[in-house]
Parts: sequence; C-alpha cells; structure tokens
Amino acid sequence: MANNDKRIGEALAVAACGLLGAAAPSASRAAEPGSGWDVDTAFLFYGESDGRVKDASVSALAIRDYGDERKLSLDMTLDTLTGASPNGAIASDLPQTFTSPSGRSTYTTPAGEIPLDSSFHDTRVALNASWSQPFARLYSVDAGLGFSSEIDYQHLGLNAGITRDFNQRNTTASFSVAYGFDTVKPVGGVPAPFAAMGDAVGEDDEGNASGQAGSNQDKKVLDVLAGFSQVLGRHSVLRVNYSYSDSSGYLTDPYKVLTVVDPVTGEPVLRTPPPGVEGPGGIYLFEHRPDSRRRQGLYTELRQDFSGNVLQLGYRYSTDDWGIDSHTLEGRLRFPLGESGYLEPHLRYYTQTAASFYRYSLANGAPLPEFASADARLADMDAYTVGVKYGHQTPQGNEWSARLEYYEQTAKAPAETLIGNQPGTVQMPDFSAVILQFSYHFKL
Amino acid sequence: MTGKQALLILIAGSSLAGCANLGVKPWEREVLARDDMQLDAQPLDTAIDDHIYFSKEGTSGGRGFGGGGCGCN
Repeated sequence: MANNDKRIGEALAVAACGLLGAAAPSASRAAEPGSGWDVDTAFLFYGESDGRVKDASVSALAIRDYGDERKLSLDMTLDTLTGASPNGAIASDLPQTFTSPSGRSTYTTPAGEIPLDSSFHDTRVALNASWSQPFARLYSVDAGLGFSSEIDYQHLGLNAGITRDFNQRNTTASFSVAYGFDTVKPVGGVPAPFAAMGDAVGEDDEGNASGQAGSNQDKKVLDVLAGFSQVLGRHSVLRVNYSYSDSSGYLTDPYKVLTVVDPVTGEPVLRTPPPGVEGPGGIYLFEHRPDSRRRQGLYTELRQDFSGNVLQLGYRYSTDDWGIDSHTLEGRLRFPLGESGYLEPHLRYYTQTAASFYRYSLANGAPLPEFASADARLADMDAYTVGVKYGHQTPQGNEWSARLEYYEQTAKAPAETLIGNQPGTVQMPDFSAVILQFSYHFKL
Repeated sequence: MTGKQALLILIAGSSLAGCANLGVKPWEREVLARDDMQLDAQPLDTAIDDHIYFSKEGTSGGRGFGGGGCGCN
C-alpha cells in the first residue's frame, strides 16, 4: 500500500512537472575532458518554390573541454542568399512596375502574380564565442559574445547566464540574459514611414527617390530566459523555458510596401510616371511598424527513451503586444538503423494570429493608420514541416548525417483587412521550401 | 497581477515542489548520459532551424537565444 502511494505520488509529480518543468543551456554533446576539440560542421541548402529565396550556408561549431566543466565554444556561419522576395504589394489584373530598393532601376511583375523583388541577395557572416565554467559547488556561469554582418545589417550581441543544480543534479535551474545591438543600413536608405515609392533616379544618382529618414537606424533587443530542466526518471527528461523579449528601435522592414487601392474595387490605384522617367505604375507606401515589441514565450520539451528509441516532443506558446499569438508543436523520433546508424523522422506544426497592424492593402483617400504592414509574416499563418534525418557513426567515433525537410506555409489576410471587392480575390505569397543539410561531427 | 498570472505561478510552484520527488541516483544515469538524450543533442541543427523559422515566421526563440541577429525579419 505504501508502495502504491509512493507510485501515485510519483505519477502526480510527473504530471505536475509535465505542466511546467525546466531548462539548462548546457553545452550539448559533452566533449571528453582533455580530448581536444569537438567539432560539428554542416552544409545547408534552403530553397523556396517559384524562384524565391535560396540560401546556401556553411556552419561550424567547435567546443573545447578543458576539464572541470570549463568549456570554450566557438561557432561560425556563412550564408549566401539569392532569389526573389515578396515586396508586400498585392497581385493585380494588370502588370505592375516597381522601383528597386536601390532607386536606380525598375522591375515589372506580370498580371495576376504576387510582386516579388528579385534584387534580393545578401551574404551573411556570423561569429559567436562563449565560455562556461563552474562558479561554486552546484553553480556554473557562462558568458558569450556574437557578431554578424550583412550588406544592410549588423548585429552585436552579449549574453551571460547562471545555472544551478538541485536535487542530486536531477533539477537544473538557469537564468540568462542577452542583449543585442543591431544597425539597419537599407540599400537605398531608410524610407520615411508611409513614404510613396519614388521614380527611378538612374545609375548615376545616389539613393532612393522616396522620402528618406537617414541612411541607417538602430534596433536593440533584450532577451531574458528562465529555464528549468528535470530528470523524470531513468528514461526521461523534461525542460521548460520562460522567455521574455523586448525589442526597441527600428523594427520596420525597409523593403516592404503596401498597395494603395480603390476603396470600391479593391484594385491598385494607377499612376503614370512623368514623361521620360521610369517609376511605379501604382501608389505603393513603405510600411511602418511600432518601435517597440514585447514578447513572452513558454517552451516545453520532453525527451523519452523507449529501449534505445528516443522521442523528442516540444511545444511553444508565444504572445506579444503586436497581437501575434503562436503555437508550435514539434516531434522527432530517433530509432537505431543497422549497426551504427539511426533514422529520425520529424514533424512540426506552427500557427499564428495576425499582428494588429497587418493590412492587406490601404484604401485610397482614407486616413493612414498609425502603423501598417502587408508583410505576410505578420498575417494569420499556418505552416508545417515534414522531414527525416539519417545519421551514421564511423568506426573512429565520428558521425555524418543528412537530413531532408519539406516546409509549407499558408498565410491568410484577416477578413477585416480586406477592402471593396478583395474578398474572394485575395492572393497571399504562400510558398513551400526544401531544406537539405549534410553534417559531419568529429574530434580534433 | 491578473488571475492568469496567479494561476501560472501556482502551477509553477506546485510543479517544482512535485519535482523534488523525481529523479534518479547517480548510478542510474546510463540512459540519461547518452548523447541522444541530451536536451541540446544537436546544437547546429537547432541553430539552423531557429534561423530559418526566425526569417519566415512572425515569432521566434523560446528554446534559447538562437535565431536572432539577422536583417531577415
């Protein structure tokens, strides 16, 4: 009977922990002390449908264990992005011409198609370094810094955290803070809020003809993460993270516009550029987002071993003061295949509500809202990912793996954002993408 | 404090109290010590995924600080 009571108690505790548990940013794949460097490398190809964004990237993560849980971690990523990206304008029955972000040329979207800006290309380099070490009995501290650079964006970040073990190291609590200082330097300058897209100015002139708000803007992001992880038994471990993020500064996408439409037909209002000048054939206003955003999130992850098969289940809830609430559900099941391989299918589902200032377009003649964006990433959205990973251990203890994933995203403009005859003719820039990654893990 | 927040704190508190009874002895960690049972077993995959979803969706983060530092959103 006493035994039964204990079991019931344990079951209740598991259930309670299931509601809320814990997380520690421990350097994974614990390197053997004194064994030198533990290196993860990856090549990634990410490609979207219909000639949209493509990203080829290489990454490396190296962890050096100096013994006594003192660890240095270095990582580097190099991305090359090409392809076309939606500019925020709506599709029309007529071809549409736009001025490119540089302000030096124009591009034309065929009738019936979602306008894409094909001048989208970028190279990104990101470097991060962090150090972790014990601080006192049961405590460890970590600190890191990061840097990334793109043609039009720079990021500088600092982070620090403290972790404490409890309960014979079955429970871990952690608290981390990160601060990011970013600079946005849009090609063609920073457009003024709701400035109309200007005419092309030719190859010799500088900048975009639209209203300018300088050549660069700042953005600051403060992130706080409180985590708990809990060993539930010999075969399972749970973590729960609470996260808080406060962004301030320039949070607008400098390349996205909104289409000004006829309030009755919902079709773009037409415009004729001055004689001898190339320019937009409609009225397109640069978007304007609030200059602050506060987000809170709850993330839960469970790892459960079933005789050598490992199930990983994750759920994330996020809410912010822009009105975007999201739920993410994710699952992976890793099972051994052959002598030294494993197969890991993966499923992910994501859903979000639209930002309160999301607009499909703007009505001509109506007063401008305080904020507006037609970025589909701020609309109602559902997305799912299906993938599989295969990994193989070499006799030397190294591991190579390959994973292939398929991602599909469907956005929806909330009905109240539609104007005139738009209901029924709405086209959103939905897309699918393929993620292909090869990885190699080795020791140096 | 809203009722929602109070409930959250209550659940958090009771969960942590419940957790004190959980766990294993040091010699029972054979499975938990395996690479594939670590909460961050595949840090590079996680970082890559966070970065992709950060650029394509309206919310990001939660698992760690990954994904940020990019003009793609």
